[in-house]
Amino acid sequence: MSTEVIKVTINTKEFEVPKGARLIDVCRDKAFDIPSFCYYSDLALQASCRMCLVRIEKMPKLQTSCTIICTEGMVVTTESDEIEKAQRSMLEFLLANHPLDCPVCDRGGECELQEMTFDWGNLEERFIEKKNYQPERYLSPMVANDPQRCILCKRCTRVCDEWMGEDAIEAGGRGANTVIGTYGGWLDCSQCGNCIEVCPTGTLLDGTYRHQARPWELTQTISTCTYCSDGCQMSLGTRGDELMRIVARDRYVNGLNGEFLCIKGRFGHPFVNHETRIRTPLIRYKKGGKLIPATWDEAILHVAKQLDAVVDEHGRDALAVVGSPRISNEANYLLYKFATELVGTSNYTTTDTSDLRPFFQNLGGPLATHRDIRYAKTILLIGGEPEELQPLTGKQIRQAVRNGGAKLIVVNSTPIRLTEQAAQFVHIRPGTEDAAVLALADDKNDTLAAEKLGVNADELQALRQSIADTQGDLVVMFSTELSMTAQVLLAQMPYSVRADGLRVLLHPLPIYNNSIGAHDMGLQNGALSATQMLDAAGESIRAIYLAGSFLPEQLRGREQSPRKLDFLVVQELFETDTTAFADVVFPAASFAEIDGTFTNNDGFVQRVRQSIPPVHQAKADWIITAQLAAELGVNFGFEMSASAVFNEIAERIPAYAGLRYPVLKDESNPVQAKYTIAAQRNLAPELATLRESVHGLPSTREKQTVTPKVGHELFKLGTLTGKVPQFGLLAEGNPRPETVRVSPLYQIAGTSKS
Amino acid sequence: MFIGAIGCEPLQLARVQLENSRTLDVYRANGGYQALKKVLSGMSPDDVINEVKKSALRGRGGAGFPTGMKWSFVPKDSPKPKYVVCNADESEPGTFKDRYLMERDPHMLIEGMLIAAYALGAKTNYIYTRGEYRYLIDIIDVALDEARTAGLLGANILDSHFSSEIYTHTGAGAYICGEETALLSSLEGMRGHPRMKPPFPAVSGLYASPTVVNNVETLTAVPDIIKMGGEAYQKLGTEKSGGTKLWSVSGHVNRPGVYELPMGYDDMEKFIMEDCGGMLNGTQLKAVIPGGSSVYVMRADQILGKDVRMDYEGLVAGGSSVGSGGFIVMDESVDIFESTKNLTEFYKHESCGWCTPCREGTDWLVKVFKRVANGGGRPEDAQLLLDICDNIEGKSFCPLGDAASWPIQSAIKRFPEDFKKHLVGTNGNQAT
Amino acid sequence: MSTQPIQIQPLSQPVDIGDEVASFSPTVEAEIDAHLRKYPVMRSAILPLMFIVQRERGYLDPPGVAYLANRLGLRITDIWEVATFYSMLHTEPVGKYHIQICKTLSCKIMGEPGITEHVCSRLGIKPGETTADGRFTVSLVECLGSCGTAPMFQIGFDYHENLTNAKTDQILDSLS
Ligand SMILES: Cc1cc2nc3c(=O)[nH]c(=O)nc-3n(C[C@H](O)[C@H](O)[C@H](O)COP(=O)(O)O)c2cc1C
Ligand code: SF4
Ligand code: FES
Repeated sequence: MSTEVIKVTINTKEFEVPKGARLIDVCRDKAFDIPSFCYYSDLALQASCRMCLVRIEKMPKLQTSCTIICTEGMVVTTESDEIEKAQRSMLEFLLANHPLDCPVCDRGGECELQEMTFDWGNLEERFIEKKNYQPERYLSPMVANDPQRCILCKRCTRVCDEWMGEDAIEAGGRGANTVIGTYGGWLDCSQCGNCIEVCPTGTLLDGTYRHQARPWELTQTISTCTYCSDGCQMSLGTRGDELMRIVARDRYVNGLNGEFLCIKGRFGHPFVNHETRIRTPLIRYKKGGKLIPATWDEAILHVAKQLDAVVDEHGRDALAVVGSPRISNEANYLLYKFATELVGTSNYTTTDTSDLRPFFQNLGGPLATHRDIRYAKTILLIGGEPEELQPLTGKQIRQAVRNGGAKLIVVNSTPIRLTEQAAQFVHIRPGTEDAAVLALADDKNDTLAAEKLGVNADELQALRQSIADTQGDLVVMFSTELSMTAQVLLAQMPYSVRADGLRVLLHPLPIYNNSIGAHDMGLQNGALSATQMLDAAGESIRAIYLAGSFLPEQLRGREQSPRKLDFLVVQELFETDTTAFADVVFPAASFAEIDGTFTNNDGFVQRVRQSIPPVHQAKADWIITAQLAAELGVNFGFEMSASAVFNEIAERIPAYAGLRYPVLKDESNPVQAKYTIAAQRNLAPELATLRESVHGLPSTREKQTVTPKVGHELFKLGTLTGKVPQFGLLAEGNPRPETVRVSPLYQIAGTSKS
Repeated sequence: MFIGAIGCEPLQLARVQLENSRTLDVYRANGGYQALKKVLSGMSPDDVINEVKKSALRGRGGAGFPTGMKWSFVPKDSPKPKYVVCNADESEPGTFKDRYLMERDPHMLIEGMLIAAYALGAKTNYIYTRGEYRYLIDIIDVALDEARTAGLLGANILDSHFSSEIYTHTGAGAYICGEETALLSSLEGMRGHPRMKPPFPAVSGLYASPTVVNNVETLTAVPDIIKMGGEAYQKLGTEKSGGTKLWSVSGHVNRPGVYELPMGYDDMEKFIMEDCGGMLNGTQLKAVIPGGSSVYVMRADQILGKDVRMDYEGLVAGGSSVGSGGFIVMDESVDIFESTKNLTEFYKHESCGWCTPCREGTDWLVKVFKRVANGGGRPEDAQLLLDICDNIEGKSFCPLGDAASWPIQSAIKRFPEDFKKHLVGTNGNQAT
Repeated sequence: MSTQPIQIQPLSQPVDIGDEVASFSPTVEAEIDAHLRKYPVMRSAILPLMFIVQRERGYLDPPGVAYLANRLGLRITDIWEVATFYSMLHTEPVGKYHIQICKTLSCKIMGEPGITEHVCSRLGIKPGETTADGRFTVSLVECLGSCGTAPMFQIGFDYHENLTNAKTDQILDSLS
């Protein structure tokens, strides 16, 4: 949209608006309220509900303001008897076949049709005929469907197609028989539930929350998703001490993700109130013995004693402190403080598998925000699979291509779904991402790179050309496959590919919700990594204080290592392979029970807010650390206030300087951490090292040739999603039950309600 | 069934009575492909468009838009391919002229399309025929093969530099696909939903490329226009609408059929009472729908003794419009409430369901009609019907919504007595 | 207020898609290729191809739908949304002889009701139904462009016009 302004007259008032502005947006912006159902910004125009009618001078009949682009001197009327009659009659039409039993409808109380009807008031019911009818049904374990409430605004089919690229739900039939559905009546998709989110009526409903609460019974708390590094903003709907559902409805929350959420964010929350949550501190008094419930005082005292003993006997470095990329900045910061200031050990780290330090140390340009991605001109994706691992990023890419005409270049060893949108797909051998980076950094290596990548050299040339031709933003995304050296070269790209009219933005794609934050807190600067610590267990490392659990891949081949420790303390929500060896387990509070911050892959520092009190005797991770410190004789002095912890973070960590909770309170304009932009560097040494290691790469490994099925990552059962029976069904291949009228949960063998 | 011209030399119907009229030989033996030859030897695309403009030919599909002007909207400089699409979806109740043109004289359509393609620089062209007309698709495919082998179609037509292909395409049962933008959606393999205008097909139509959609009868008029010259063709008709027009006549007349009349033929009464052989079994004329179902229904007394001229202006003055030229004649045995109910059911069945007023409105209208027909009528239902129509008209996404309301509005206004007797319900005015 | 509601044609009623994909003879495949060659975009051939599948398999059965999706590189839902839009495409079986009687105005006033009555009583079914032996289906359809030769019906793709009861009997007798 250009910056040029034009004059339009609305209801006799004159306004200056940007050239190319859409009339419906302008009217709303100027506080003339225009009813609509089908119009949804940044989705394909529909103009089918006919609610947004206005009168425009010199145009025949009423016009739909959603389809009109403002032109110089346009004279518009949005309020008149004629228009009111038209809009009332559209509403009357929509209600004709719509059941008028809002009290029994799950959407009752937050239904746009219901609100519109109340706004208009006194609609006499002239429709005395029989209503058309379709029975209720389930479209999948997640999605319940009440077809007769549908007003065919087709938001659902458009988000499914345009946001998710799945096109799993469509309109079938014709005329008054048009029904939203799928062939076979069963939804085979990523189950993101965005169709539920955008549905203005009670047609598509959250099948996991069906009939469990009424909107007005719920307290809404705005918070940040705990599943991936995109950091979607969401509203936690709670009743009493129970988390009932999660939505992104813009009436409650207005974050970087709009109304978008993925299956995990939307449906992955039942672990919070799950019956198998650890309820009290647990102590294993003798190795091989049982974990026995204890009071907090006992447990804290016991741990303090044991840690003291270890340090006295084996020295400070024998005690390792391990944070987690899933817990808050506050929690990780306190662990860092605990390790460095209190214990004074050089062995501290996080359980993250990726280490972004080289990237941030050499950062040559700004991080891309999700908005930047949507409006980028060129997007280069090296490795990874955003649509499964960072779904919001996946959606932004798709919209950038579809609606923004962006050019997507995918460098991947697998033909991931996004290749459908790609202008260029460089199909490389597994594990050769580094070679691609080498080719990007320096064109003298094409023969070597091409050989290792298993592509031909002109593909690499074409790739560099698209970058050079870009006018506007180039967003470079990379996943966790890159080596430390490759990260350096990539981080410096803003310098190495400099050209007029080109702005290079970087977008790392770590796996965890707070991978970036855990890095920022400095917890990765310790001497050993998590796996190195496990390997040194029983020798240089005698005790570990761990928030969360080790990852399965870290324990693989090291199953016995934790056993070798004199002492292992774990803060967890659930019993895991790691707690199995713990001498003490502290019940930690989940994201829904704490205040704090996560830092996402945009570098946005976003608030996590307490929506329910900690379940049972659980406590926030940072509070546990603070109490332990106090017992060891050091008072961190945060008086139980997460914001106090954050203030210290802001003082100590340059990128967070000046931040305060009040500054972060508005999720609709998130605040980016100010990472220092490193100067341009001579990359010769890195190039040399990388060339070496690329030489060493095998050029034999087979490329993956089949596009993986939707959900192959999303549906994997983790410690948290494993607590959600619906995920169980999906993991079993989402079988269609005997009857789609009853929740599949109650029908399919091998699954139970919890 | 009668097929022929009245009050003028047959143009469109010149060959329909000949033996094997659909073969290439017969067509050529009777002046076929002369126009194409003339065009390819010496006329520029603009010359062709100008002739069509001079001819005052107006689209025969129903909208009556000046064809020459439509052609001139196609951007010359567009780098995209251009398409000519023949609208042979003929589904308007009471309309069957295109069917006989294609059945009896397919080459006339092919020649007309090729001339249009030449004028617009189209290399690929489609004939979108309604699915029920399968036998016509077979006939046209044969004709296309004949033309291809005779060097009249495909590469370097008549050894000129002009190359263009024509393909047949089948619909699958949807009246709405006659609406030009819905037709294009359907031709692209989508559901037959209309598209937003602007952009108009001439600028962004099939595959988002410049596209001209013309009715069969419009395109078959083109060869004669070229042969006799635009002016001569225009003179056959009136100043505003040139040439001759085909009228499909059905209902209670002795001689139903396809009639070719000069535009501006005088007058409607003579046409029905004499040319069409008068009323079937000498019954009384009650009502006429002159332009396919999507126009106002006329009372006998709006026709008899009123000399209604049969062209766009004349019929509007007479209280209806030309539409697709589907003449449905009804005698006094017909209950206009019933006939209107019948047409309303048609529109409900054919509404594509895209937009609220048409989808819900036509469904509601039918429900009201059914209730009334089942004896649940109430005096206020006339007003209810009119109000529903008013809420559809001018608010629907495409003209089908309007088309659905016009028959009802005119019927209630012009035949109140037929409605009154139903509107006092027989079962205690109870809704069922 | 309204009493018991009207059930509208259920569409996405559960059918088991299964993994079976239809396959066709080389001649049919060649026919399909010929259609695909007409268009710059494969999807444009969806209607012609659906008619072929319908001709070969009686209706658009799940294996046929799966075939179309694969052949046109579309999703199953794309086939479904199109197939259910057009009245000549069937996602449920229809009789060998599909008698489609035109019920629109011109035919209606020229004797359609009598013909319908006659056909139905002869076959012992109501419009919309199929005979037990699965041979005949009777449907009332909208204008077929035979208004000048009303009343009429179409059996399969064949037009039968200027119908009388006697003529109707001849036609039905002639059907094996
Ligand atoms: C609901 C509807 C149905 C239509 N059906 C037909 C049709 O069956 N045949 C046709 O030629 N035009 C039909 N039209 C008109 C077309 O939209 C379009 O105006 C016409 O094909 C243009 O060709 P022409 O300029 O040669 O008339 C229909 C229009 C509407 C709104
Ligand atoms: S008026 Fe609306 S519903 Fe009716 S056919 Fe046109 S677009 Fe479809
Ligand atoms: S919002 Fe404009 S038509 Fe629906």
